[in-house]
Amino acid sequence: MNPITAILQRNLLNYVRSKGRVFGSLFMSMFMLVMFSFLMKSSMSGLDAPMSYLVSGVIIMSVFQVSINNSSDILSDISSGYMKEVLVAPIARTQISMGHILSGAVIATLQGVVTMICGIVLGLRVGILQILLLAAVMLVSAMAFSAIGLFLATVSRNSPAFQTLSSMIMMPLTFVSGAYIPTTIIPGFLLPIVYLNPLTYTTSIFRYIALGAHTLTTEELVGQGMAFSIGGFVITPLMGLAITILIGAFFFALCVRKFNRADFSTIKVAAGMQGGGAPARR
Amino acid sequence: MNKIIQVEHFSKKYGDFTAVDDISFTVNEGSIFAFLGPNGAGKSTTINTLCTILDKTEGSLMINGHDVCRERSLVRKDIGIVFQDSTLDSQMTVEENLKYHCSFYKVPKNEVRERIDFALDLVELTEWRRAAVGSLSGGMKRRAEIARGLVHDPKVLFLDEPTTGLDPQTRANVWEYIQRLQKQKNMTIFLTTHYMDEAEVCSKIVIMDHGKIVAHDTPENLKHQYTGTEVDVVCTQTEPFMAALQERGGSYRKDGNKLVFHTKKAPAALEILSAHKAAITDFEVKKGTLNEVFLAITGKEIRES
Repeated sequence: MNPITAILQRNLLNYVRSKGRVFGSLFMSMFMLVMFSFLMKSSMSGLDAPMSYLVSGVIIMSVFQVSINNSSDILSDISSGYMKEVLVAPIARTQISMGHILSGAVIATLQGVVTMICGIVLGLRVGILQILLLAAVMLVSAMAFSAIGLFLATVSRNSPAFQTLSSMIMMPLTFVSGAYIPTTIIPGFLLPIVYLNPLTYTTSIFRYIALGAHTLTTEELVGQGMAFSIGGFVITPLMGLAITILIGAFFFALCVRKFNRADFSTIKVAAGMQGGGAPARR
Repeated sequence: MNKIIQVEHFSKKYGDFTAVDDISFTVNEGSIFAFLGPNGAGKSTTINTLCTILDKTEGSLMINGHDVCRERSLVRKDIGIVFQDSTLDSQMTVEENLKYHCSFYKVPKNEVRERIDFALDLVELTEWRRAAVGSLSGGMKRRAEIARGLVHDPKVLFLDEPTTGLDPQTRANVWEYIQRLQKQKNMTIFLTTHYMDEAEVCSKIVIMDHGKIVAHDTPENLKHQYTGTEVDVVCTQTEPFMAALQERGGSYRKDGNKLVFHTKKAPAALEILSAHKAAITDFEVKKGTLNEVFLAITGKEIRES
């Protein structure tokens, strides 16, 4: 078995075995879907299909949240010591990162698909081809999100720090992504954040497919917050997807760099030297 | 004899703190090599650097001809490690832990089953192969960890404090596995311990204190060099015996009707014992232990953790 497959299989098995986590996480996605769909419906007036517009935003947002939260898996591996077993194995650091990113992405996509099915019940109108395309977009964006999450996890190194850091980043990014509040009504001074936010682009491509918006003109797309005109230059949903992939690749490279540092697991190593040894590194 | 590990002028500093201070040593292939010393002597730092998870500050470390700090992935292939703290995946079963380990180390698919069977058999965990690691006792976990460390047939097996925190019986078992492994597979075993008595079975010992090597030899030579033989004699009449001891020179100690004295070699005591044979009710001859070696070298008892 290839090391990436081994890490993926092991993480998925761990996920399936922790039943509480599976149900808790699925429940959260459902709850968000139902709450937001009904609460925010009024803010979406003036759109052709407000329910589909909103539901698709909530689905991709739940994919984002699940991806980031699953990245904390690596933190329990660090605290249980298992990370050391992986780090001393002759596996390329790119493979370790890829294995973890893929496992987070697969779990997020599976949950996203379940949420999408509920969305369909709630009034999202999509065909089979659209469902397949949406699942593919979920997987690609979930990989980018997982790379971001994995990087945050390796930076924070322990669970409380990760919780704080991730909610600090997740909350604002979620609200300026256009998923809940259309980007068209976001005040101008926040627009730079909107355009730097990878979630903006994943939301736009996701909606573009979910609403079958390929028939719309560029102006109409910009008007509905699915394309963005920055100083006359228009970022189409497909370009947005490319930007998401680039952001993901950038964070993937950062993770690999982090794992490449031999002293990555110093916390654990220093703890192993209790009773003398070396003081923990700053 | 092939030198499988070569360490020259290795130093490791954490800021101003020097954990390991310019040490050099070699390990012969197929031997059991022990690093002894109190907690904080620099043993774990050295072993972690050899295992590619710490960076050195200075010096050169080679395993099987590969530079530990520059050819990490080649070194990682050749070594197996059992860390001081558990690094098992507690949600997985014993067998799954070993199976994923085999994937990480690219063990050929058709050998995986056989290797896992061998490793589990060696540490007597065959019956527990499907048990979740989290449900095992501390001793069983350590055994599972040893099995995992050797399942990919490493050239060198590192064991960092393999017996710390185990009950005496499990400790004895672990030593048995280690010796069996060295004999059956001719594996080089590099271990650290602060239980001096356990190091007797090792081919070579390095004693570390305060980041420096203070002794490097076989257990026999160390004992010979640093300790003598202690003779305890219980006699009906102590005076004539004491007179003889005074005449002989050297110190002795009186404890009721028991006399304690030291000789460099055991036969040297024979003469004085046979001369006062009639007065002796009991006697005991004690050989030096590694604990005494450590005491003689560092001037302190090894600390228990």
